[in-house]
Amino acid sequence: MDRELLIEIGCEEIPASWLPGLTSQVARHLEARLKEYRLAPGAPIESFSTPRRLTARVARLSERQTDLEEVLTGPPISAAFTPGGEPTPAAAGFAKKYNVDVTALERHETPRGTYLAYRLRQRGKAAVDVLADVMAALLRDLTFPKQMRWDAYLEDGKGDLVFARPIRWIVLLYGGRVVPFVIRRTESSQGPLVQDIRSGANTYGHRFLTTSGRAGRAIKVKTFEDYQARLLENFVILDRGERENRIRRELETHARRLSARVSPQVTMQSALLQEVPDLVEYPSVVAGHFSVEFLDLPEEVLTTTMIHHQHYFPVVDEDGRLKPAFLAVINMQPEKPELIARNSERVLTARLRDARFFWDADRKVPLESRIERLSTILFHKKLGSYREKAERVASLSAWIAAEAFKRPELAIHAERAGRLSKADLATEMVRELTELQGTMGGIYAREENLPEEVWKAIYYHYLPIGVEADAPPTRQQLGAAAVPWAAVSLADKLDSVVGMLSAGERPTGSRDPLGLRRQAQGVVKVLADLPELTGVDERLTLGPLLARAAEPFGGYKDSAPQLFSFMADRLTYLLEQRGFDVRNVRAVMSGSIENVSPLEARRKLEALVQMSGSAALLEVAGLLKRVKNITKGVTGPTLDRHAVRLTEPAEAALLAEIERRAPAIRDAAARGEYRDAFAEVASFQPSVAKFFDDVLVMAEDETLRTARLALVATLRDIIVNLADISEIAETQQPQHVEK
Amino acid sequence: MTLQDLILKLSAYWASHGCLLQQPLDLEVGAGTSHPETLFRVLGPRPWSVAYVQPSRRPDDGRFGQNPNRVFKHHQFQVILKPSPDEVQQLYLDSLEACGINPRQHDIRFEEDNWESPTLGAWGIGWQVLLDGLEITQFTYFQQVGGLDLAPISCEITYGLERIAMFLQRVDNMFDLEWGGGVKYGEVRLQEEIEQSKYAFGQVDMPPAEFAALHRDLFDKYFGLSEKLLASGLVWPALEHCLKCSHLFNILDSSGSIGVTERTAYILRVRQLAVRIAKAYVGDDGSRAAD
Repeated sequence: MDRELLIEIGCEEIPASWLPGLTSQVARHLEARLKEYRLAPGAPIESFSTPRRLTARVARLSERQTDLEEVLTGPPISAAFTPGGEPTPAAAGFAKKYNVDVTALERHETPRGTYLAYRLRQRGKAAVDVLADVMAALLRDLTFPKQMRWDAYLEDGKGDLVFARPIRWIVLLYGGRVVPFVIRRTESSQGPLVQDIRSGANTYGHRFLTTSGRAGRAIKVKTFEDYQARLLENFVILDRGERENRIRRELETHARRLSARVSPQVTMQSALLQEVPDLVEYPSVVAGHFSVEFLDLPEEVLTTTMIHHQHYFPVVDEDGRLKPAFLAVINMQPEKPELIARNSERVLTARLRDARFFWDADRKVPLESRIERLSTILFHKKLGSYREKAERVASLSAWIAAEAFKRPELAIHAERAGRLSKADLATEMVRELTELQGTMGGIYAREENLPEEVWKAIYYHYLPIGVEADAPPTRQQLGAAAVPWAAVSLADKLDSVVGMLSAGERPTGSRDPLGLRRQAQGVVKVLADLPELTGVDERLTLGPLLARAAEPFGGYKDSAPQLFSFMADRLTYLLEQRGFDVRNVRAVMSGSIENVSPLEARRKLEALVQMSGSAALLEVAGLLKRVKNITKGVTGPTLDRHAVRLTEPAEAALLAEIERRAPAIRDAAARGEYRDAFAEVASFQPSVAKFFDDVLVMAEDETLRTARLALVATLRDIIVNLADISEIAETQQPQHVEK
Repeated sequence: MTLQDLILKLSAYWASHGCLLQQPLDLEVGAGTSHPETLFRVLGPRPWSVAYVQPSRRPDDGRFGQNPNRVFKHHQFQVILKPSPDEVQQLYLDSLEACGINPRQHDIRFEEDNWESPTLGAWGIGWQVLLDGLEITQFTYFQQVGGLDLAPISCEITYGLERIAMFLQRVDNMFDLEWGGGVKYGEVRLQEEIEQSKYAFGQVDMPPAEFAALHRDLFDKYFGLSEKLLASGLVWPALEHCLKCSHLFNILDSSGSIGVTERTAYILRVRQLAVRIAKAYVGDDGSRAAD
C-alpha cells in the first residue's frame, strides 16, 4: 500500500536568496534518490520552504522497494561445457561466485552469442528500512552558494556534513510513523549543549508568535495536511506563493491608506518583491514616514537607501513623485505595529541623515579632483587602480566616438565622461551606497553644471544590464548624451572584459564574481541596438573594438581564444534571448567572431524571420549543405581560369546566375538590405537544383572536376559570406552519393 | 537603560551561562575578534566560553564627532561560545530579553551576512541581527582563523553597544546617550573623537610625507619585533605586535598615505604574519592549544 512521506529539514535562518533554488533542489534530488532506491512515488513530489525549513512531501509512496531482477552473464556456453556436456571450471567458478549449483544457471541469448547466466532476484526491502539512506543521500545532494561546517557528520562513511546553516531538527515520517535517522555531532563538539539530531515527528512554529502556550515549542505532527495546518496555527505560512500574495495585498492596502502606490523603482532596480517572501514566515506590513526635508536629496539616493539597505518599499503619489513614507514587510503580527513603525523610521532617518551628510560633503569637492584619489582604489591586482582604468576608459571612449562612430565632434565629451566615470568611487556617498556607482557620479556632474552630454554619459554608463531590445536606458532618457554614453558604456565594459580575461580571470559555471558575462552582454547589446540607442548606424565588427581595448594591456597575450569564444557565447545568448531560432543564430554567427557585427547579425536574423516561409531558401540551404560537403578543402576558388571548361547547359546557366547575382547580393548586404540579399540567394534555387540534377561534379576528368568544384565553391562563398544557411537546412534530405 | 547598565546586564547574563568574564585587550584593535581571547581560543579543540567589552577603533569611520552614528571608536560586547551550543540563537534572544527587549513586540530577524577578515586570515558564516530594521549584532560561526580550519566550530556574537543603547534610550545621536549616572556619552568621548579623527586623517602638525614615513617606520619596527617574538616562541606578545601593525596600516590607509599596490602588499604582510602566529599557537601537532 502507498503511504505518505513527509520530510522537514529544520534549519537556522537560510539566506533568502538561496531558498527558491533549494526548494527545487529538494524536489529534484528526492525524486532521483527515490528512483535509485526503487521506491515508486504514486504522486508528484512537492517541496516547500521558509527561512527555517526545507520541506518535501510525497502523498503516496510505495511501501516496499520494487523487486530487483538482474541477469548476470558468465562465460559463453561454448566455454562453459565440455563436449560431453560436463561443466567446465569456468562454469563451476561462475556458479560458485553466486553460491548456486550450475544446474540453477540459465542460458542467455545475446547478439554476441549465448552465455551462461545467473538470474539474480532480490526482494525489495520495506520503505521504512531504506528511507534513512534516502534521507542521508538527499542531505548530501543539496548544494549551496556557500557552505558551512557545523561539527556534524552522517554515518554514511563520507565524513563531515556541510550545510547552509546548522540543522536543528529533522521530521522524517512515513505513513505517519517516524523513520529513525540521525545526524551525529563530532567528538570534539559533543556535550550537554551539543547533541545528535534524531528524526522525529516534531516541528517548530514561529519563533515569537503563538496563540497558546510558549512560542517556539515543539509541535507533534502526523500527516502533511496536519503539518501544514499546525504550522499555520503557529504562525508559519508554508507556501511561498501564499506569503507573496499576502505581502502584495498588504502592500496595496497600506499604500492606499497613504494615497500612494509602491514605487515602480522597486521592480525596476531590485528583486525586493521576490526576496521578501523568503525572509519571513508570517508576513505583515507596517507603514512609516520620514521628514519631508529629505525629499531634497536625489530620488536615487532615497530609493536606494530604502530598497537596498533597509528592504523597505518606497511609495509614490499619482504623478510618480516620491512621498515621504515607506512600507516595511515584517515577520510579525505585532500587538503594536506603531512601535515597530516608529523604530523603523528612526533607522531610516539615521541613514538619510548620513546620506545628507555625504551629499553636502561630496559636493564641496569637484568630481575632477577626486580622480587623484582613485589611485588608492584597486581595480584588479594585475590591471592597476581605478585611476589607471579611468584613463584607459577615457582614451578608448574618445576613440570609439571619433573612429568607430565617426562622430569626432563628440569625442571630447566621451573622453571627459570616460575620465570622470569612476571618480564617484572616491565619494562618501558611493562608498556607503555602492549600488549608486555611476549614477552618483552623473548626479554630481549635473550639480557641477557639466553639459548633458557628459553627465548623462556618466550617469548611465553601467547600463545596459539586460539584453532585451527595450532594456534601459532609452534614447529619450539619454537625450543629447546618446553617442558619448554609448562610447563610455562600451569602453568601460570592453576594458573590463578584455583586461580581466588577459589577467587570467574566467567566469566558470554559475560563478562570475566580476560580472564579466553581464558586461560582455552589455557590449553586444549596445552594438546590436546602436541605431535605436544613438542614431549612429554603424555595423561595427567586434574585432577592431576588442583589439583597441587590448592595446593598453599589450594585446590579448594568450587570452585570444577564450576571449573570442566568450564574446561569441554572449552574442549567441543575446540573440537567442531575443527569440531568434538557434539554427538561424548559428547561420549568422559562422566564421570568426572578430568579423561578426552584432547589429548585422541582428538584422540578418530579422530578415531570415521575414523569409521564413520561403521554400526556395530552404532548398538552397539544403543544397548548400551538400556543396559544403563536397567542397571541403576548396578555398579561394578562381573561377575565371576555369570558366571556359564549363560547357554543359546547366553549369553554364549556374555560372551566369552567379555572375549576375553575386554583385546584387553583395550590394544589398552592403546597404544592409538583408531581406533582398536573402531573396537573391533564394533565387538561386532553380539553377542550383538543375545543376545538381544534370551535372556530375566529381567528373572523371580532373580539370573538369576542378572547374566544377570551383564553380560550386564560389557559390558557397557568396552565400556563406552572407550567412551560413546550411545551418537551417531541413533534416537530412536523402543524400545522393557523389560518385 | 544606560550604556553601563547594558554592559552589566549582558555581562551578568553571559556569566550565568558559563562565560568567563574577560577584560578588553589593552591595545588598539578594530574589533573584539582581534583579542587573543577570541583569536587564540577558537583554535584547537579546547572548549572555551568568554565574554568581554572591546573598544574598537576604525580610523576610517572617524567623523570628528559630527556624525550621530559613526565614530572613530565604538564599543563591542563580544561573546565566544566554543563549541557553539545547539540553542545558541535562543540563548542570544534571551540575552536581548534580559536587556529589556521583548521579542514579541518587535521584528527580530537573522539576515545573511558573512564575515571575513583578510588581515587575520579568518572568515565565518552567519547573519546580522536586525531589530526593527536596526543592525544590532553580528552573529558568526567561525570557519577559519589564521588560515586554519576550526574544529569544533565557535560561535561569535558581537553586540554593537552604542546601537543597542540608542535603541533602548530612544536617542538619535550617539553623543546624547547616557553613559551612566546622568553623564552623557558626548561628555565622556566627544573631545577624544575630534582629536582621534584629526590624527586618523593626518591633520597633524607635520608634513604628510613625514607623517607617512613615520608610520611606515613604526609598522616595520613592530613587524620586525613581532617576527623576533614569534621566532622565540612567544606567541602572545607576537600577536600583540602584529595587531599594532594592523592598526598602523589602518592609519596609513585612512590618512591616504599609501597607494593601491602597496595597500594590498601591507594587507598580505599582516595576514601572513597572523597566519604564522596562529600556526605557532596551535603547534605543529595541535598540542599547544589542547593544553
